[in-house]
Amino acid sequence: MRPKYHFYSTVRVLKSGFVNLFRNLWLTIAATAVMLVALTIISLGVVLNVTANNAIDVLSKELKTGVFLNDDVPVEKRNELESALRSLDFVENVDYISPNEAQRRLTENPIIGNDVLQAESIFEGEDFLAASFEVSLSDLSRAQELANLAESEQFNEVVKRVALGKTDTGDQTDAEKAIERAAATERFITISSIISAGTLAAVSIMIIFNTIRMAIYTRRDEISIMKLIGATPNYIRGPFLVEASLYGVIAGILANSIVYTLVYSLGAKVAEAPEFSETYSYFTEPTTITLMLLSSITLGVLIGALSSMLAMERHLKLKHW
Amino acid sequence: MILLDRVTKTYNKKGPAIERINLHVENKEFVVIVGQSGAGKSTLLKLLTREEKPTSGKIIVGGIDYERLRDRDIPYLRRKIGTVFQDFKLLPNKTVFENIAFALEIVGMGNREIRHTVPKVIDLVGLKGKEDNYPNELSGGERQRVAIARAVVRQPKILIADEPTGNLDPKHAWDVIRVLEKVNKHGTTVLLTTHNMDIVNKLKRRVVTIRDGKVVGDRASAGYNKQVV
Repeated sequence: MRPKYHFYSTVRVLKSGFVNLFRNLWLTIAATAVMLVALTIISLGVVLNVTANNAIDVLSKELKTGVFLNDDVPVEKRNELESALRSLDFVENVDYISPNEAQRRLTENPIIGNDVLQAESIFEGEDFLAASFEVSLSDLSRAQELANLAESEQFNEVVKRVALGKTDTGDQTDAEKAIERAAATERFITISSIISAGTLAAVSIMIIFNTIRMAIYTRRDEISIMKLIGATPNYIRGPFLVEASLYGVIAGILANSIVYTLVYSLGAKVAEAPEFSETYSYFTEPTTITLMLLSSITLGVLIGALSSMLAMERHLKLKHW
Repeated sequence: MILLDRVTKTYNKKGPAIERINLHVENKEFVVIVGQSGAGKSTLLKLLTREEKPTSGKIIVGGIDYERLRDRDIPYLRRKIGTVFQDFKLLPNKTVFENIAFALEIVGMGNREIRHTVPKVIDLVGLKGKEDNYPNELSGGERQRVAIARAVVRQPKILIADEPTGNLDPKHAWDVIRVLEKVNKHGTTVLLTTHNMDIVNKLKRRVVTIRDGKVVGDRASAGYNKQVV
């Protein structure tokens, strides 16, 4: 076949697929609606996962581990400990906080202020004025490994104690709990969005399968004539594939519109918070918007194409010509 | 043009639909195949359009050996053979023009070429002025002429007409036969199946008679022999 003929055939297949979309309008609406819900849940799942992940990252960086030192530790011993801490692959940064620096921070604290005696009463038994290393971790779940190293025999004379999850404000417990909650929420979002999106994707595959099956049935006479007068399998199948893929395109565009309506309306309200600001600006970048739209459309087209291929494989046996 | 060598087709254990048929049709010939219902005429034509595969034997059409024909080549074979059916097989939601153009669209012909080609064929089958009519606005004879136009618009070397006059009254049946003769005169080999005695007798063409799946008569210019059939 000449290339010009291929062009005309392709155009006709596309046109026919587009026309088919309107032949069974209610079935088209039903198939697109279910796919829309599935794609919206998948996209929202992605947005929420990224948001939760970024929030955990930000919170993790704020949550520092304190390694408190004994009084009068020689500089070389202190440096040895610092090197050992830095050698751990999950340690992002190590800052030495001298007793003077610790005191300065304490006096700058808006809650405690200059009243060191008040501070002593608040942090009774704590080492808030001892020299320490303030360690930032990239993976908070490995903090215990750091503690094991610092409390090992080797640094017995150097380290007084290790405080996991120390923050600049000293509010250890709340920060740790916040991270745990965020991590649990992230896991919940991941699992629930996978389950619901998977279920809805399966439902939309079944509905589109049925839609295409009915379209094949109503056009069976036309298909048999096409076969007898020399149409190729691709020419016959093409319109059904285009029709189902168009469901995916429409559903993908609508799903992305819904997700971005939510991102702009709800996201704007929390964008001021440090743990969400980066995520909000990431999702509102033109590149991300385009990527999200294309991914949504691609997934929709894949679901549509898969369903129509299954229907054609079962009800349009072109192998038996 | 067409060669069948000891072709047998068996559908079930009741016996073959056609059995060891030998047939040779020359280029530009007009052959009438006659036989009662169930004699095997339609099976024979289905073997030629490759709707059915023979159980045994050799079929060669237009130089194509069907034994070597791959499934994916069947559409291209059918583009070389025009087919006309007793029940017309027209698309009811398309006009006369669109029905004929459809045969050109599926092979990828451009719109301008189609607009140029279709009117000539409409003229050939005598349907000028009916281009915009839908099949249900036409008589049986006119519908069959649309079907012939669709079959010949790609200028096939062979035209197979399976009982094209079966549903028509004598006047319309003759209109269709005249069109087939005209197509044959343009150089197309025509294979016509019928059991219309009047058509066979007046046509004065080669007649192949089939009974119980076997060729029982093959005469160069014969009439309809009731006893043989």
